[in-house]
Amino acid sequence: MLQTRSGPRALIALIGVVALVVAACGGTTASTAPSAAAPSAAAPSTAAATPLPSPSVVIVTPEPVAAGPGPNGGVVVRWFIGLGAGTQPQHLGPEAEWVKSYNDSQKDVYIIMEIVDNSIAAAQLKTEIAGGNPPDIIGPVGIEGLNLFRDQLQDLAPLVESTGYTQPGVDPKLAEFFKIGEGGAQIGLPFAVYPSYLFYNKDLFDEADLPYPPSKIGEMYEGKPWDMEAVRQLGMKLTVDKNGNDATSADFDPENIVQWGFDVQYHDGSARAETAMFGAGSPVADDGKTAQVPDYIANGEKWFNAGIWTDHFIPTANQVASTLLNGGGEFASGNLAMNEGHTWFTCCITPTAPAKPFDFGFAAPPAYNGVTTAPLHVDTFSMLKTTKVADAAFKALTAMVASPELLTIYGAMPADPAKQDAWFDSIDKNFPGVKLDWDVVQEALGYPDIPNNQSYVPNYGEAKAAFQAFQNKVRTTPGLDMDAELAALKTTLQGIFDKPAN
Amino acid sequence: MTDTTEVSAAPAAPIASSRRFTASIREALWGYVFIGPWLIGLAIFAAGPIIASLIISLTDFNLLRPEAVQFIGFDNYIKMASDPNVLNSLLVTVKFAIIAIPLTMVASLGLAVLVNSPKLFGRSIFRTLFYMPIQIPLVASTLVWIGFLNTETGWLNGILAVFGITGPDWINSTVWIYPALSLIGLWGIGNLMLINIAGLQSVPSELYEAARIDGAGPWKMFRRITIPLMSPILLYNLVISLIVTFQYFTQAYTMTNGRGDPDNATLFINLNLFREAFQFNRMGYGAAIAWLLFVIVLVLTLLLFAFARKRVYYAGGES
Repeated sequence: MLQTRSGPRALIALIGVVALVVAACGGTTASTAPSAAAPSAAAPSTAAATPLPSPSVVIVTPEPVAAGPGPNGGVVVRWFIGLGAGTQPQHLGPEAEWVKSYNDSQKDVYIIMEIVDNSIAAAQLKTEIAGGNPPDIIGPVGIEGLNLFRDQLQDLAPLVESTGYTQPGVDPKLAEFFKIGEGGAQIGLPFAVYPSYLFYNKDLFDEADLPYPPSKIGEMYEGKPWDMEAVRQLGMKLTVDKNGNDATSADFDPENIVQWGFDVQYHDGSARAETAMFGAGSPVADDGKTAQVPDYIANGEKWFNAGIWTDHFIPTANQVASTLLNGGGEFASGNLAMNEGHTWFTCCITPTAPAKPFDFGFAAPPAYNGVTTAPLHVDTFSMLKTTKVADAAFKALTAMVASPELLTIYGAMPADPAKQDAWFDSIDKNFPGVKLDWDVVQEALGYPDIPNNQSYVPNYGEAKAAFQAFQNKVRTTPGLDMDAELAALKTTLQGIFDKPAN
Repeated sequence: MTDTTEVSAAPAAPIASSRRFTASIREALWGYVFIGPWLIGLAIFAAGPIIASLIISLTDFNLLRPEAVQFIGFDNYIKMASDPNVLNSLLVTVKFAIIAIPLTMVASLGLAVLVNSPKLFGRSIFRTLFYMPIQIPLVASTLVWIGFLNTETGWLNGILAVFGITGPDWINSTVWIYPALSLIGLWGIGNLMLINIAGLQSVPSELYEAARIDGAGPWKMFRRITIPLMSPILLYNLVISLIVTFQYFTQAYTMTNGRGDPDNATLFINLNLFREAFQFNRMGYGAAIAWLLFVIVLVLTLLLFAFARKRVYYAGGES
């Protein structure tokens, strides 16, 4: 006969089970339990959430400062770094030195830094805002980072006006570019710009005995317009299988490709960014709530789909992740002939051992339907609305924006044209023996995508996830009915836009 | 099956039963004394956030607009019932659990039996080798596995190709992603293997000797002696595996940058929770999903314990 458990014992046992589950759910002791560690994706610039693994999660918490003035007698201003550049190991020391130097140089403001790894920075900042403990300044931060915190950011225009702040030499249109906050609020000041263009591997062109692509917008390539069709044809000639046949050959083996013609490396992984060379447009209509798939995305994704699965000159997701393309570092592998990238990509070109070194150059962004678009990334610093020390924070922010040291630390191309030559020289030093045509870069600045490929849409983060899922599907699935997929994307976007704002 | 709660109906039994009952209570009390410090820590450091998350789940708390929080009752829970992402993430988690848990249980027990065999030369070396992957951070090992499973240059498909087999697209197929993740999970079974080894070594050798004399073969001994005597260990491993599987996150996040690719096939419930709470800022909704997860795991654990009452053998009596 089985004895029935007594009430208290059963209760104790139940409590024990609940405690076990609670403890297990909260702990990370089990071998495969989730851990706080997330894949680190530190962008070389705030302009893109680039999937570059960093060796470890960086968190530098602010030094403790007693309530009241800082050690230099100035108002304490908290500076949050992590939404873009600034968290790589090589940044940390120079950033600390800059802050120390700034704090020593005046007595009005005392800056304290908080550095959070890029992969968790947005979540950390949200948590600080929710916890009532937000910083005063964020940055460097790109358009996307600004969008994620759009309604939390301070309109700088009144401060600019009241202090008479100006940035001599900087195109006033760039200041206008940052009027993307709620109600047209100016939520940043020009700091760094990163136009895009083509990076090409000269060795692969030489090997195929093909002329280099044009360096000026509007120039022809082999008597034909330098456009996406020309890129397609050229890309196929530069795509080679293991037997040495290029993709235009009848003997070409698409199952054994060892070299590819073209890709857009290191963007935010979304269809919006990938196709930005095809033009500009917003996924939300002027009413701010109706979803649409702009022509540039539709045309661009169809072009990519054909390039990947029919013409084979653009790598699939698996090919991108393979060792042939350096596990995602495609251009540095030496096996990608052309790559559309932004100025900040100069950070990541140098081939890493054992990849073979190669010579490379800059080429003009190709046109589509006769129109050239060179997608633009920017970096800035911004202030949170919640700051209680707006004047001091603005003073610190303007010092950051004007600092040549910070431009150097972040490898950022100055928004001020007068400072750009010095920056070009600094990059040239990284590539001895390579002649880079910086005129391409300066010319590309004149062809930005407006609206930008990271422009605001309702529920930005969720919408971006939908664009990323779309791009992943195109990169991984042959035989898609692209019209049906684009229609489904529009429906998905509408569902996201219809949700309460997040 | 022996159970300490089983008592004789004979008239002389009450005194012995009472003593055994008292000893059992005493033992249980000592157990709670030993886990007491931990329970106090749990109450102080975890109970607050747990209660807070329950309250938050009844609100529309948005991470970026904490000042605008509203009490919305059970709206988040009602919304979950029709949210395709929640339903899909539950399905994804269950699908994975159905593959991964049995595989993990069998593989860890099999490995334990192998490396516990007296006939195996260099047992300690093998135990160390099989345990070593545990020491590697999950993110790092997942990145290695991504390379290993790559269709173009990955070793696995390379090995399959030697045998004339065209390997699947492990990572980008909505079908093959689960075997792929299960394979990755097998790398981390060192802990379970060690626990199983301890269980195997606690089985009295005289039982095997007696069985051998009675003519039992290895398989029969394993089935009739090893498994029953190890059943508490197996139950523990099963419960832990279940909880861990329902918490599955890091590998899925690492493989897809948190996107749930391909086609939401890796949108595990924990990843969905993270996205809602921290990426889409809907902390109230995320907290509700967390409570759903908790309730599911609790119910499944209770079911397992109920099952254990009939199937698990406790040599020293059920505590």
